[in-house]
Amino acid sequence: MSLLKPFKLIGIAHRSGVVTVRYPFQPPLVTPEFRGRIRIDASKCIGCGACVNACPSNALTLVDDGERRALNYFIGRCIYCGRCADVCPVGAITISREFELATDNIGDLNSRVIHYKATCSCCGEETTATERMISYVVSRVPVTETYVHMGSRCRKRRFIEGLMMGRGMIYGESER
Amino acid sequence: MENRRDNLLEALKAIRRSIWVFHLNTGSCNACDIEILDVLTPYFDVERFGIKPVASPRHADLVLMTGPVTRKTLPKVVNALRAVPRPRLVLAIGACAVGGGIWHDSYSVSGGVEGLKKVLEENGVEIDKLVYVPGCPARPEAIIYGVAVLLGIAKPKVKEEVVEVK
Repeated sequence: MSLLKPFKLIGIAHRSGVVTVRYPFQPPLVTPEFRGRIRIDASKCIGCGACVNACPSNALTLVDDGERRALNYFIGRCIYCGRCADVCPVGAITISREFELATDNIGDLNSRVIHYKATCSCCGEETTATERMISYVVSRVPVTETYVHMGSRCRKRRFIEGLMMGRGMIYGESER
Repeated sequence: MENRRDNLLEALKAIRRSIWVFHLNTGSCNACDIEILDVLTPYFDVERFGIKPVASPRHADLVLMTGPVTRKTLPKVVNALRAVPRPRLVLAIGACAVGGGIWHDSYSVSGGVEGLKKVLEENGVEIDKLVYVPGCPARPEAIIYGVAVLLGIAKPKVKEEVVEVK
Protein backbone atom coordinates (compact mmCIF):
# COMPACT_ATOMS: atom_id res chain seq x y z
CA MET A 1 0.00 0.00 0.00
CA SER A 2 2.77 2.40 0.98
CA LEU A 3 4.50 1.67 -2.32
CA LEU A 4 1.48 2.86 -4.24
CA LYS A 5 1.23 6.12 -2.32
CA PRO A 6 3.32 8.29 -4.70
CA PHE A 7 1.19 7.18 -7.64
CA LYS A 8 -1.93 8.12 -5.72
CA LEU A 9 -0.47 11.58 -5.18
CA ILE A 10 0.11 11.99 -8.90
CA GLY A 11 -3.58 11.40 -9.47
CA ILE A 12 -4.56 13.96 -6.82
CA ALA A 13 -2.13 16.56 -8.18
CA HIS A 14 -3.41 15.99 -11.71
CA ARG A 15 -7.02 16.52 -10.62
CA SER A 16 -6.32 19.80 -8.75
CA GLY A 17 -4.12 21.14 -11.55
CA VAL A 18 -1.80 24.16 -11.29
CA VAL A 19 -2.90 26.59 -8.58
CA THR A 20 0.01 29.07 -8.76
CA VAL A 21 -0.95 32.53 -10.01
CA ARG A 22 1.44 34.15 -12.48
CA TYR A 23 1.23 37.42 -10.57
CA PRO A 24 3.62 39.86 -12.25
CA PHE A 25 2.56 38.61 -15.67
CA GLN A 26 -1.13 38.46 -14.86
CA PRO A 27 -3.35 41.10 -13.21
CA PRO A 28 -3.90 40.43 -9.50
CA LEU A 29 -7.27 39.38 -8.14
CA VAL A 30 -8.79 42.59 -6.76
CA THR A 31 -12.41 42.41 -5.68
CA PRO A 32 -14.71 45.49 -5.89
CA GLU A 33 -14.83 45.59 -2.06
CA PHE A 34 -11.05 45.87 -1.78
CA ARG A 35 -9.82 49.07 -0.12
CA GLY A 36 -6.50 50.45 -1.23
CA ARG A 37 -4.98 53.88 -0.77
CA ILE A 38 -7.34 56.85 -0.65
CA ARG A 39 -7.43 59.61 -3.22
CA ILE A 40 -8.17 63.17 -2.15
CA ASP A 41 -9.86 65.21 -4.87
CA ALA A 42 -8.29 68.64 -4.37
CA SER A 43 -10.98 70.33 -6.47
CA LYS A 44 -13.63 69.23 -3.95
CA CYS A 45 -11.73 69.26 -0.62
CA ILE A 46 -12.69 72.14 1.67
CA GLY A 47 -10.06 71.53 4.35
CA CYS A 48 -12.52 71.07 7.21
CA GLY A 49 -10.58 68.27 8.90
CA ALA A 50 -13.47 65.84 9.41
CA CYS A 51 -11.31 63.08 7.94
CA VAL A 52 -8.49 63.97 10.36
CA ASN A 53 -10.82 63.49 13.31
CA ALA A 54 -12.03 60.16 11.98
CA CYS A 55 -8.61 58.76 11.08
CA PRO A 56 -7.68 56.09 13.69
CA SER A 57 -3.98 56.04 12.85
CA ASN A 58 -3.38 59.76 12.21
CA ALA A 59 -2.38 59.06 8.63
CA LEU A 60 -4.34 62.19 7.76
CA THR A 61 -3.14 65.29 9.56
CA LEU A 62 -3.88 69.00 9.30
CA VAL A 63 -0.84 71.25 9.53
CA ASP A 64 -1.44 74.95 10.10
CA ASP A 65 1.33 77.16 8.80
CA GLY A 66 0.47 80.85 8.94
CA GLU A 67 -1.94 81.61 6.14
CA ARG A 68 -1.78 78.10 4.77
CA ARG A 69 -3.36 74.90 5.96
CA ALA A 70 -2.12 71.61 4.58
CA LEU A 71 -3.96 68.31 4.65
CA ASN A 72 -1.23 65.67 4.77
CA TYR A 73 -1.82 62.06 3.83
CA PHE A 74 0.94 59.62 4.80
CA ILE A 75 0.27 56.29 3.12
CA GLY A 76 2.81 54.52 5.31
CA ARG A 77 0.57 54.81 8.35
CA CYS A 78 -2.80 54.36 6.66
CA ILE A 79 -4.73 51.24 7.64
CA TYR A 80 -7.23 51.54 4.75
CA CYS A 81 -10.32 51.53 6.95
CA GLY A 82 -12.19 54.01 4.74
CA ARG A 83 -13.66 56.04 7.59
CA CYS A 84 -12.38 59.28 6.05
CA ALA A 85 -14.40 58.60 2.92
CA ASP A 86 -17.49 57.99 5.09
CA VAL A 87 -17.26 61.25 7.01
CA CYS A 88 -16.15 63.61 4.22
CA PRO A 89 -19.00 66.14 3.87
CA VAL A 90 -18.24 66.93 0.24
CA GLY A 91 -17.26 63.46 -0.96
CA ALA A 92 -13.73 64.52 -1.87
CA ILE A 93 -12.14 61.29 -0.59
CA THR A 94 -12.49 58.15 -2.63
CA ILE A 95 -11.05 54.74 -1.88
CA SER A 96 -8.97 53.52 -4.77
CA ARG A 97 -7.88 49.96 -5.38
CA GLU A 98 -4.17 50.72 -5.66
CA PHE A 99 -1.99 48.62 -3.42
CA GLU A 100 1.38 48.39 -5.19
CA LEU A 101 2.84 51.18 -3.10
CA ALA A 102 6.35 49.90 -2.43
CA THR A 103 9.05 52.54 -2.62
CA ASP A 104 12.58 53.11 -1.37
CA ASN A 105 12.01 56.78 -0.58
CA ILE A 106 9.64 57.50 2.28
CA GLY A 107 8.90 60.97 0.90
CA ASP A 108 7.02 59.35 -1.97
CA LEU A 109 4.42 58.14 0.50
CA ASN A 110 3.26 61.65 1.38
CA SER A 111 0.59 63.58 -0.46
CA ARG A 112 -0.59 67.02 0.43
CA VAL A 113 -3.47 69.37 -0.32
CA ILE A 114 -2.64 72.97 0.60
CA HIS A 115 -5.49 75.34 1.44
CA TYR A 116 -5.40 79.06 2.08
CA LYS A 117 -7.16 80.47 5.08
CA ALA A 118 -9.81 83.13 4.65
CA THR A 119 -9.10 86.62 5.97
CA CYS A 120 -11.39 88.33 8.45
CA SER A 121 -13.66 90.89 6.79
CA CYS A 122 -13.32 93.11 9.88
CA CYS A 123 -9.63 93.20 10.88
CA GLY A 124 -7.96 91.50 7.89
CA GLU A 125 -6.23 88.77 9.90
CA GLU A 126 -6.50 85.14 8.79
CA THR A 127 -9.33 83.17 10.36
CA THR A 128 -9.34 79.53 11.39
CA ALA A 129 -11.48 78.55 8.39
CA THR A 130 -10.44 78.06 4.79
CA GLU A 131 -12.17 80.00 2.04
CA ARG A 132 -13.77 76.85 0.69
CA MET A 133 -15.16 76.01 4.13
CA ILE A 134 -16.86 79.39 4.32
CA SER A 135 -18.39 79.15 0.88
CA TYR A 136 -19.58 75.63 1.75
CA VAL A 137 -21.24 76.86 4.96
CA VAL A 138 -22.83 79.82 3.16
CA SER A 139 -24.23 77.55 0.48
CA ARG A 140 -25.74 75.21 3.11
CA VAL A 141 -26.96 77.69 5.74
CA PRO A 142 -27.68 81.13 4.21
CA VAL A 143 -28.53 82.65 7.60
CA THR A 144 -24.92 82.69 8.76
CA GLU A 145 -23.86 84.90 5.89
CA THR A 146 -23.68 88.12 7.93
CA TYR A 147 -20.92 87.13 10.35
CA VAL A 148 -19.39 84.04 8.80
CA HIS A 149 -16.65 86.04 7.07
CA MET A 150 -15.29 87.28 10.40
CA GLY A 151 -12.61 85.71 12.53
CA SER A 152 -13.54 84.32 15.94
CA ARG A 153 -12.01 87.30 17.78
CA CYS A 154 -13.93 89.90 15.76
CA ARG A 155 -17.08 87.84 16.08
CA LYS A 156 -16.76 87.82 19.87
CA ARG A 157 -16.04 91.56 19.96
CA ARG A 158 -19.03 92.32 17.79
CA PHE A 159 -21.25 90.19 19.99
CA ILE A 160 -20.09 91.96 23.16
CA GLU A 161 -20.48 95.32 21.50
CA GLY A 162 -24.01 94.41 20.48
CA LEU A 163 -24.75 93.31 24.04
CA MET A 164 -23.39 96.54 25.45
CA MET A 165 -25.32 98.55 22.92
CA GLY A 166 -28.49 96.73 23.99
CA ARG A 167 -27.88 97.71 27.62
CA GLY A 168 -27.17 101.29 26.65
CA MET A 169 -23.54 101.25 27.77
CA ILE A 170 -21.80 102.29 24.56
CA TYR A 171 -24.66 104.58 23.67
CA GLY A 172 -24.48 106.34 27.02
CA GLU A 173 -20.71 106.63 26.85
CA SER A 174 -20.56 108.10 23.36
CA GLU A 175 -23.26 110.60 24.17
CA ARG A 176 -21.28 112.01 27.07
CA MET B 1 30.41 56.52 -1.18
CA GLU B 2 30.35 56.00 -4.96
CA ASN B 3 32.27 52.80 -4.55
CA ARG B 4 29.81 51.52 -1.98
CA ARG B 5 26.87 52.21 -4.30
CA ASP B 6 28.54 50.27 -7.08
CA ASN B 7 29.11 47.39 -4.68
CA LEU B 8 25.45 47.46 -3.70
CA LEU B 9 24.29 47.42 -7.31
CA GLU B 10 26.63 44.53 -8.05
CA ALA B 11 25.37 42.63 -5.04
CA LEU B 12 21.76 43.24 -6.04
CA LYS B 13 22.56 41.95 -9.51
CA ALA B 14 24.16 38.86 -8.04
CA ILE B 15 21.20 37.90 -5.87
CA ARG B 16 18.55 38.77 -8.46
CA ARG B 17 17.60 35.15 -9.08
CA SER B 18 18.32 33.78 -5.63
CA ILE B 19 17.18 35.78 -2.63
CA TRP B 20 17.26 34.21 0.78
CA VAL B 21 14.88 35.95 3.11
CA PHE B 22 14.69 36.00 6.87
CA HIS B 23 11.33 36.76 8.42
CA LEU B 24 11.76 39.11 11.39
CA ASN B 25 8.66 39.74 13.48
CA THR B 26 9.15 42.78 15.71
CA GLY B 27 5.89 42.60 17.64
CA SER B 28 3.39 42.66 14.82
CA CYS B 29 -0.21 41.49 15.12
CA ASN B 30 0.51 38.51 12.80
CA ALA B 31 -1.52 39.76 9.84
CA CYS B 32 1.58 40.73 7.88
CA ASP B 33 3.24 37.46 8.90
CA ILE B 34 0.32 35.50 7.51
CA GLU B 35 0.62 37.45 4.27
CA ILE B 36 4.33 36.61 4.13
CA LEU B 37 3.46 32.93 4.63
CA ASP B 38 0.92 33.35 1.83
CA VAL B 39 3.68 34.52 -0.47
CA LEU B 40 5.68 31.39 0.30
CA THR B 41 2.80 28.96 -0.31
CA PRO B 42 2.22 27.28 -3.70
CA TYR B 43 -0.50 29.81 -4.55
CA PHE B 44 2.03 32.63 -5.03
CA ASP B 45 5.06 30.34 -5.05
CA VAL B 46 7.90 32.84 -4.87
CA GLU B 47 10.43 30.07 -5.39
CA ARG B 48 9.70 30.89 -9.03
CA PHE B 49 11.89 33.94 -8.42
CA GLY B 50 14.34 32.11 -6.20
CA ILE B 51 13.02 33.62 -2.98
CA LYS B 52 13.53 31.17 -0.16
CA PRO B 53 13.05 31.54 3.59
CA VAL B 54 15.98 30.76 5.84
CA ALA B 55 16.08 30.15 9.57
CA SER B 56 18.99 32.40 10.54
CA PRO B 57 19.74 36.06 9.74
CA ARG B 58 23.35 35.00 9.06
CA HIS B 59 22.18 33.21 5.93
CA ALA B 60 19.84 35.95 4.79
CA ASP B 61 20.19 38.40 1.92
CA LEU B 62 16.98 40.18 2.76
CA VAL B 63 15.15 40.76 6.03
CA LEU B 64 11.36 40.92 5.91
CA MET B 65 10.55 43.14 8.86
CA THR B 66 7.01 43.33 10.22
CA GLY B 67 5.66 45.09 13.29
CA PRO B 68 6.20 48.43 15.00
CA VAL B 69 9.46 47.43 16.80
CA THR B 70 8.26 47.23 20.37
CA ARG B 71 10.55 48.03 23.29
CA LYS B 72 10.86 44.35 24.18
CA THR B 73 11.97 43.33 20.71
CA LEU B 74 14.25 46.33 20.04
CA PRO B 75 17.54 44.83 21.35
CA LYS B 76 16.80 41.53 19.61
CA VAL B 77 16.04 43.31 16.35
CA VAL B 78 19.34 45.20 16.55
CA ASN B 79 21.20 41.94 17.23
CA ALA B 80 19.43 40.17 14.38
CA LEU B 81 20.17 42.97 11.92
CA ARG B 82 23.80 43.06 13.04
CA ALA B 83 24.08 39.38 12.18
CA VAL B 84 22.95 39.94 8.60
CA PRO B 85 25.92 40.01 6.20
CA ARG B 86 26.53 43.16 4.12
CA PRO B 87 24.85 44.45 2.05
CA ARG B 88 22.01 44.58 4.54
CA LEU B 89 18.72 44.71 2.68
CA VAL B 90 15.53 45.31 4.64
CA LEU B 91 11.92 45.23 3.48
CA ALA B 92 9.67 47.04 5.96
CA ILE B 93 6.28 45.38 5.50
CA GLY B 94 2.98 46.78 6.74
CA ALA B 95 1.76 50.07 8.16
CA CYS B 96 3.41 49.36 11.54
CA ALA B 97 6.89 48.78 10.14
CA VAL B 98 6.71 51.72 7.74
CA GLY B 99 5.31 54.47 9.93
CA GLY B 100 4.36 52.98 13.27
CA GLY B 101 0.77 52.28 12.25
CA ILE B 102 -1.94 52.95 14.79
CA TRP B 103 0.73 52.69 17.53
CA HIS B 104 2.90 55.44 16.12
CA ASP B 105 2.69 57.62 19.27
CA SER B 106 2.54 54.85 21.86
CA TYR B 107 5.10 54.71 24.66
CA SER B 108 5.94 51.05 24.12
CA VAL B 109 7.03 51.12 20.47
CA SER B 110 9.88 52.84 18.72
CA GLY B 111 7.70 53.88 15.78
CA GLY B 112 8.55 51.35 13.10
CA VAL B 113 11.64 51.41 10.98
CA GLU B 114 12.08 55.19 11.25
CA GLY B 115 12.60 54.97 15.01
CA LEU B 116 14.70 51.85 14.57
CA LYS B 117 17.05 53.65 12.17
CA LYS B 118 18.19 56.04 14.91
CA VAL B 119 18.89 53.18 17.32
CA LEU B 120 20.79 51.31 14.62
CA GLU B 121 22.87 54.40 13.90
CA GLU B 122 23.80 54.66 17.59
CA ASN B 123 24.82 51.00 17.59
CA GLY B 124 26.81 51.27 14.38
CA VAL B 125 24.59 48.99 12.33
CA GLU B 126 24.09 50.26 8.79
CA ILE B 127 21.22 49.36 6.49
CA ASP B 128 22.30 49.47 2.85
CA LYS B 129 18.90 49.48 1.21
CA LEU B 130 15.49 49.83 2.74
CA VAL B 131 12.22 49.48 0.87
CA TYR B 132 8.88 50.39 2.38
CA VAL B 133 5.83 48.25 1.62
CA PRO B 134 2.73 49.96 3.07
CA GLY B 135 -0.50 48.06 3.63
CA CYS B 136 -2.48 46.88 6.61
CA PRO B 137 -1.68 44.09 6.03
CA ALA B 138 0.35 44.35 2.84
CA ARG B 139 -1.06 42.12 0.14
CA PRO B 140 1.10 39.20 -1.05
CA GLU B 141 1.30 40.88 -4.46
CA ALA B 142 2.48 44.08 -2.79
CA ILE B 143 5.26 42.15 -1.03
CA ILE B 144 6.38 40.58 -4.32
CA TYR B 145 6.29 44.04 -5.87
CA GLY B 146 8.36 45.39 -2.98
CA VAL B 147 11.05 42.77 -3.61
CA ALA B 148 11.03 43.76 -7.30
CA VAL B 149 11.48 47.42 -6.32
CA LEU B 150 14.33 46.47 -4.00
CA LEU B 151 16.13 44.60 -6.78
CA GLY B 152 15.56 47.43 -9.21
CA ILE B 153 13.39 45.34 -11.55
CA ALA B 154 10.27 47.50 -11.04
CA LYS B 155 9.99 51.26 -10.61
CA PRO B 156 8.04 52.64 -7.62
CA LYS B 157 4.57 53.71 -8.74
CA VAL B 158 3.81 56.17 -5.94
CA LYS B 159 5.02 59.75 -6.17
CA GLU B 160 4.75 62.63 -3.75
CA GLU B 161 1.71 64.70 -4.70
CA VAL B 162 1.33 68.31 -3.63
CA VAL B 163 -1.76 70.16 -4.81
CA GLU B 164 -2.29 73.79 -3.96
CA VAL B 165 -5.86 75.03 -3.76
CA LYS B 166 -6.11 78.65 -4.84
